[in-house]
Amino acid sequence: MEKVEVSICVGSSCHLKGSRDVIEQARNEISRLHLQDKVELKAAFCFGQCGHDGVTVKVNDKIIPGLTPEKIASLFEEEILPLTK
Amino acid sequence: MERSDFTELESGYLSVNHKGEELCGDHVQIVSDASDGSTTLVLADGLGSGVVASILSTLTSAMLSRMAEAGLSIEDGVETLVKTLPIARDRGNVAYSTFTVCRIEKDYTGYIYNFDNPEPVFLRGGKEKKLNYETLTVEGKLIKKAKCYFDVNDCLVMFSDGAVYAGVGETLNFGWTREEISAYLEGLFDPSISAKNIATLLVDHCDLLYNRRPGDDTTALAVRRRERKKCNLMVGPPTNPSDDEKVLSSFFSLEGPHIVSGGTTCKIAARYLGSSIEGSLDYLDPEVPPISYIKGVDLATEGIITLNKVVSLSRDYQGQNKAYFDWSFRQDGASQIAKMLFEEATDITFYVGCAVNPAHQDPEYHIDIKMKMQIIDNLAQELKNMGKHINVTYF
Repeated sequence: MEKVEVSICVGSSCHLKGSRDVIEQARNEISRLHLQDKVELKAAFCFGQCGHDGVTVKVNDKIIPGLTPEKIASLFEEEILPLTK
Repeated sequence: MERSDFTELESGYLSVNHKGEELCGDHVQIVSDASDGSTTLVLADGLGSGVVASILSTLTSAMLSRMAEAGLSIEDGVETLVKTLPIARDRGNVAYSTFTVCRIEKDYTGYIYNFDNPEPVFLRGGKEKKLNYETLTVEGKLIKKAKCYFDVNDCLVMFSDGAVYAGVGETLNFGWTREEISAYLEGLFDPSISAKNIATLLVDHCDLLYNRRPGDDTTALAVRRRERKKCNLMVGPPTNPSDDEKVLSSFFSLEGPHIVSGGTTCKIAARYLGSSIEGSLDYLDPEVPPISYIKGVDLATEGIITLNKVVSLSRDYQGQNKAYFDWSFRQDGASQIAKMLFEEATDITFYVGCAVNPAHQDPEYHIDIKMKMQIIDNLAQELKNMGKHINVTYF
């Protein structure tokens, strides 16, 4: 099965809104849920969603703006886990 | 073969103050004379420390460099100065300020005059080359004079006696001898280290021997003849997207390494080069967004935040140079740019695209196009202050 591609924006705007913490939280979720072989975490540049509060993440082809570290657990539960099954 | 067009002088210095003093009793002055292509460097050490020492050494170096600037031969200048230097009668009739002056002509011939400072170290190919000093007697004072020629990568390091006293009362009984200093400089010789960083490495080591409590003002002044090297940095997409192709083709045809800063700029550069962008998630420095990898680009970074960090590093570099010990080996975007622009390059071309970036229009984070231009202006100015040749083109 193809890995789920999770791209986290590290552009200027997202950086200021906390990309670093979002990346760390996503890495934690991947180990907690044992998804190392199922999810590929990548860096990306601007998805054109800078107007939102929070960081923009792309899950396969779906762009999800406005993420904070607190929202990462539910992002994995709702968006990413179903794709790995 | 002499290729003087592709080499130039680079100088840099650093001082640490006697513990508890706000002013430094050592003073450095560097004057480049555009009319005859000469450079005069003066390191003066005022007797004692604090305010008086600072005034005396400032006066001495200002007089010497001013006389050199006015076209007076350096020998006449030195004589005039020695005749006028006040003498401290209560301290065994020593002059109030000692000094080393080095004048380097356009043809890289150097003349060194040393009055009671430690003998400078002249390095050729990483080994000390002993200079033949003759002694001049002026008003009963002895001045050592030597002539030298600066070949490419030759380096002269002058220092105040704070360096040879380093460690007294702290880590070494008798201080750091001139021979040990010479061996230290030989050990760290590397043509890719800038004059400022050579001075920094020497002074920091002295400071270390003093356990960070210097018993004397300590200064090193390095001057070297180095090869000129180019570097190019592009930031921001062109105002008009139809210019992308033209601007990128011109940018990538420039000689030297290519740095591309900014997410969108990286995207258009990758598209132009037919390469993909390999992003990295590693925050090597929490303040600086991660770099990416694009085949054909030597360094791809985020834009405004990284460059803003480079501006603050450039100010530090020209001051106490504390951050050098971080950026010289760190691999984050700002550190790598600092190394490429401050140390490796002498001639830097900026391509600045003026397209308005939607990411910079976010009112909550107060970054906008004006701020980007301000950062580029500041960076260009700081690099000019370092003596770099800067060319900025806007698109």
